Amino acid sequence: MRALNAELSKLFSLPGIWLAFLIGALAPAVIAALDSIVEKEDIIAGVSTRLAEIGYSGLGFGVQGVIILGVLSVSSEYLTESSESGGGQQITTSLTVVPSRPHFLMAKAGAVTVTSILLCMVAMMTTVSATHLILGEYAPAFEASRLIGVVCYWTFTALLAFGITVLTKNGIIPLTVLIINSSVISFSFLLSKITKLAFYLPDRAGIEMFMSFNDESNAIFNRFHTPFTAGLVMLVWVAVFFIVAVIVFHRRDVAA
Amino acid sequence: MSISSSKKITKILGAELDKLVSLPLIWLTLIGTFILNLVLAAAFTSAGLQGAAGTQSILNIGLASMGYLQAGFIILGISATCSEYTSGQIRTTLTVIPWRGFQLSAKHLALAVITIPAAFIIAASGILYTFMMMRDTAVGFEIDTMIETLVGATGYLTLTTLLSAAIGALLRRTTPALVMLLGYYFIISPLSRDFLPNYFPDTAGYYMYMPASNDEINVLTPMQGTGILMLWTLIFIKVAIIFYRQRDA
Repeated sequence: MRALNAELSKLFSLPGIWLAFLIGALAPAVIAALDSIVEKEDIIAGVSTRLAEIGYSGLGFGVQGVIILGVLSVSSEYLTESSESGGGQQITTSLTVVPSRPHFLMAKAGAVTVTSILLCMVAMMTTVSATHLILGEYAPAFEASRLIGVVCYWTFTALLAFGITVLTKNGIIPLTVLIINSSVISFSFLLSKITKLAFYLPDRAGIEMFMSFNDESNAIFNRFHTPFTAGLVMLVWVAVFFIVAVIVFHRRDVAA
Repeated sequence: MSISSSKKITKILGAELDKLVSLPLIWLTLIGTFILNLVLAAAFTSAGLQGAAGTQSILNIGLASMGYLQAGFIILGISATCSEYTSGQIRTTLTVIPWRGFQLSAKHLALAVITIPAAFIIAASGILYTFMMMRDTAVGFEIDTMIETLVGATGYLTLTTLLSAAIGALLRRTTPALVMLLGYYFIISPLSRDFLPNYFPDTAGYYMYMPASNDEINVLTPMQGTGILMLWTLIFIKVAIIFYRQRDA
């Protein structure tokens, strides 16, 4: 419990964490607002086909915030300080204080989970109020089951980023791969044109927890999983990465 | 010791080149980008082969990976300038070269020297792979068009790298610079493409390498695209230099 507290305090005092909170809390609302403005006339006329998606696409992109959170929480530990202040790494201090490595990793993952759930709550509040502000009485009702899907998607993505960064120790690679992959032109999207297996990639499966793909004309946008199996697929990915990360972290020399 | 101004610039340039060449991250990024590009080219080619035969042009498919490719070059640019700040190297640099404007300009120049051949090889390898795989099914192309396209792609990637380097020099920290640039290039720009005019760095640069197609109206010629992107890059480098000169190292 004390380790968790310590990890939370370290997480909140990171330089650059403001960017994660800013993007996580505001980006979904901004995208939802823009989306609502564009679709407003159609919605009022009652012909919009995308009414059910308003807000959720924003929440899909807002996951960037927790990606930064997950990556930074680990990569900051491995950042080499400047030679003027000793050239050390924070990880040596952290492991001196919490010598059990699985405990350390669990506490860190716990801190990331708690923070990303909180951030997701904030994001949903801003998104819902943004759509209500613009669409007024026409605003779609946000169903609890889909919102739970969003929370799961954000948390799992943060943990995935966390697990990958433990393996690479450097923030640049996971950050690049995950940010591109959560964008409109993701690798998974490209791969799903080639093989059906791509539907089991974590981000492609995870997004089906709250997005309803029902574009019959395009097989790529068609629904492949139910929200529950989608969550399960993503959870398996997270678990695999996490177990590998724990094993590697347990065996690895800190200085290596 | 007094040395002539031209000799000074050559020496600064040489030093900056040395520093870049000895940066391990640069080589890792370039090799990673090269491999990734081939994988993506293979993926796009196989997706293209599954589509209707004889309708796609080799150049279009070979360059389809450009959207992802630029991520590697963004990392390249950022790591070139931000590496100075991670371990206080900047103070050594400025002790040896006390002319800040010169130093940063030389850094960008040295970066361009490394990027141009790398971008050319990487862009060409993608097209070459597509060409080898799709010779029979796709529409052929003129060798002139290919050279023009390749030069455009190289120029685009180089200018993007320099732009990222300037942003990296402005922000001085890798993560925020990386997040902002990737967020712009991969999230904001594709989402806002329909509302905004084509005068932003990536949308203008797009016309530098995309071969003119018939079904869409090409708003900018390759030359106009180059001009606009170059203007953006120069503005950012200028702003970076101004801040660099004013700021405490």
